[in-house]
Amino acid sequence: MRIEKRQVEGQPLTVIIEYPEWSESVESLVRKIGRMDISFAGKTEEGSVSIGISDVYYIENVERKLFIYTEGDVYRFDGSMSDIESRIEDTALVRISRTCIMNTDHLKEIRQIRNSHLEAVMDNDEKLIVSRKYLPDIKRIFKNEGS
Amino acid sequence: MKKVFRDTCILFALAVLSVFVISIVWVGVTDEIKLVLELFALSFIISVGNYFLDEYTSLPVIGSYAVKYIAATAAVMLFGFIAGWFYRSNFWMAFIYVGIVIVLAYFIDAFRTRRDIDFINTRIKNRKG
Repeated sequence: MRIEKRQVEGQPLTVIIEYPEWSESVESLVRKIGRMDISFAGKTEEGSVSIGISDVYYIENVERKLFIYTEGDVYRFDGSMSDIESRIEDTALVRISRTCIMNTDHLKEIRQIRNSHLEAVMDNDEKLIVSRKYLPDIKRIFKNEGS
Repeated sequence: MKKVFRDTCILFALAVLSVFVISIVWVGVTDEIKLVLELFALSFIISVGNYFLDEYTSLPVIGSYAVKYIAATAAVMLFGFIAGWFYRSNFWMAFIYVGIVIVLAYFIDAFRTRRDIDFINTRIKNRKG
């Protein structure tokens, strides 16, 4: 596979895939790139903002309200956890507890606290509680990444 | 090896199921078949309980296993009395049966958790160079 990159000013990010024959791997590549383009409509007091999936650190359900956390900001999201889960299949986002979905692209480390919970440390040093039940799902993301 | 073991378990379950179905059709529900069906029903009840404990509680590891031990023992005792497995004099056996399973499950869970954490952290390190 040949990878070419070039800067074109004034144009949105464009990915062109050239293939000799349509195959499963091409289809998978197109699907993966398509999923990188997912965005969520976050709400702030000033209005609505589009948040790209790569900017999301984690999404949390607090008293039946959803909040999207980026590196330094928090946005309100109108929707349910199941709405989000249906959109994040095959992405780096994964459920880590009943109330939280984490972006593994911003994961720095997973720690086991002695006799206690699992803790995910994010790139911005925020710490999230991980339910052991969801650990195999997190592992699957890293396994798929390597294959 | 893991896949072979999993396939063996699936095949074994299917073999047991087909032998049971034929036996039930042929000779009806014998005491042995009844016992296995009761164990299946009990396993289902305990699994449902475990699911809800995992989903709706966030206890420390030891606390979680302690709650599961108490809940599973209570389920085994109740089920055992209904099914006639225990007499009033030997109901404490449930603590031993469940205890053995819980201790094994705890060590397997602890080992798998450690292994999964190491795998994830290694991948993160490799990714970040």
